[in-house]
Amino acid sequence: MARTKFRAEVLTPEGQVFDEEVEMVSTRTSVGSIGVLANHAPLMAILDPTELRLYRSEGDVVRYAQGEGYLQVVDNTALVLVEEAIEPDKLDRSAIESRLEDARSSLEQAEEGSEERNRCERTIKRYEAFLEVDTG
Amino acid sequence: MASQKDIKSRISSVKNIRKITRAMEMVAAARLRRAEQRIEELRPYAEAIRRMTRRAVEAAESIPSLPLLEEHDSIDRVGLLLVTGDRGLAGAFNSQIIRAGNARNRELRQEGPEVRWYASGRRGVSSIQFRGLELAGGYTGFTDRPAYADARSIADDLITHYVDGEVDRVEMLYNGYVSPMTQEVRHETLLPLQQADVLGDAEEEDEGRQDERSAESDSDDGERPDHSRALWIYEPDPEEILKRLAPDYVEISIYRALLESTASEHGARMTAMRNASENAAELIDNLTLEANRQRQAEITQEIMEVVAGAEGLR
Repeated sequence: MARTKFRAEVLTPEGQVFDEEVEMVSTRTSVGSIGVLANHAPLMAILDPTELRLYRSEGDVVRYAQGEGYLQVVDNTALVLVEEAIEPDKLDRSAIESRLEDARSSLEQAEEGSEERNRCERTIKRYEAFLEVDTG
Repeated sequence: MASQKDIKSRISSVKNIRKITRAMEMVAAARLRRAEQRIEELRPYAEAIRRMTRRAVEAAESIPSLPLLEEHDSIDRVGLLLVTGDRGLAGAFNSQIIRAGNARNRELRQEGPEVRWYASGRRGVSSIQFRGLELAGGYTGFTDRPAYADARSIADDLITHYVDGEVDRVEMLYNGYVSPMTQEVRHETLLPLQQADVLGDAEEEDEGRQDERSAESDSDDGERPDHSRALWIYEPDPEEILKRLAPDYVEISIYRALLESTASEHGARMTAMRNASENAAELIDNLTLEANRQRQAEITQEIMEVVAGAEGLR
C-alpha cells in the first residue's frame, strides 16, 4: 500500500542533491537506525556515516553514501544536512581504502585521549561506512 | 636596427603568446563562473546549520564547555594559514597573500608568540619551504576546484592542533572575492571560535528570538510558533548536538575561504591574461608599424638605386 508522502531535502556544502516527495527516509543517528515517515514529530538528530535511503516508493529507492551530519524534521519536512552525500556508483573504492589505511596507521601513533585519536576514529568510521555502501 | 626577418619572427611569436593568453583568459572566465556558483551553493547549507545551532542553543539547559570556544591562557604559538593557489600567472593573487603573511609574522613576533605555518596551494607551500621555515600543514592539488573534504582535512588538522595545545590561536589569510576584477586580502581568526558567531549574541537573545520566530513563521520552511520546544525530540541531547556543531563552523569558514580564494584566483588570472593579451596586441601593432616602415625604406632605397643606375647609363 502506498504511504503518505512528505518532502525530503538533502543539502551538502557543495549544493542540494535531493529535494522530492518521499514515503520514507532511512538513515542512522548517533543513537541508532531511524526511519522517518510522514507526520513525524519534530526531531533534531546527529547523523553518523551510513547509507542514506530515500524511498520514493516501495521499490524505488535513492541511495547515497552519507557522511557526518544532522537530521531535522519539522512541519512534515525532513532536512538532511550532511557533509557528503555520494551516489554509490561514484564511490572510489581504492581511494577510500587507501585513506582508511592512512587513518588506521595514524590511529596507532595517536596518544590515548588526544583529539588526534578522536579524529582518526571518526575518519575510520566514515570510510568503513562508505565501503559498506559500496559493497551493499 | 633589427632586420625585417627578425621583426617578422617577433610578430609571429607575440601572436602565439596572445593566442595562449586569450585561451587562458577564456578558461579562467569559465572557471570563475563555476566558482561563483559554488559559493552560492554553500549558502543554504551554512544557513541551515546556523538555524539548527540557534535551536539547539535555545533547547540546551546549559551551554556545554566547548574546547573550540575556549581561549588558551597564554598565547605562545599562533597558527597562520595562508590560502593561495597551486598555479601562478594570476597577477598579485599569490604574492599579496604571502606578503600579508610575512607582515603578520613580523607583527606577531614583536608581540611575543611564535608562528606555526600552514598553507593551502602549492605557491604558499613552496614559498614557506623556500624560506626554510617549518611547515606544520601543507595542502595542495585542489585549489582549482576545492571540495568540502579538502576543507575538512585542513579544519581537522587545525582543530586537532588547537585542542591538543600545539597552537593557541589560529588565523587565516585569504583572497576574499569581491568581483571578478577585485580581490581583497582578508584576515580572520579561526580559533578560538567567537562565541557570538556560533551561539548568537547573548544580550540580544530574547529580542532575537522574537524576531526569529516571526521571521520563521513567515517563511515556508520555518517552524511555526505553536511548536513548543518541549515537543521536539533530540537525539542525543541538545548539548551533544552543540558539541558536534562547533567544528562545523571551522570547516565551513575554511571551505568558504577556499571557494572565495578559487573565485579570486580565476578572476585575477582572467584580468592578468586580459592585460597580457592587450599588451600583446599593442606590441603586434607597434612591430607591424616598424616592419612596414622598414619595408617602405627598403623599397625607397631600391627605387633610388634603380633611378641612380638609370641616371648613370644615360
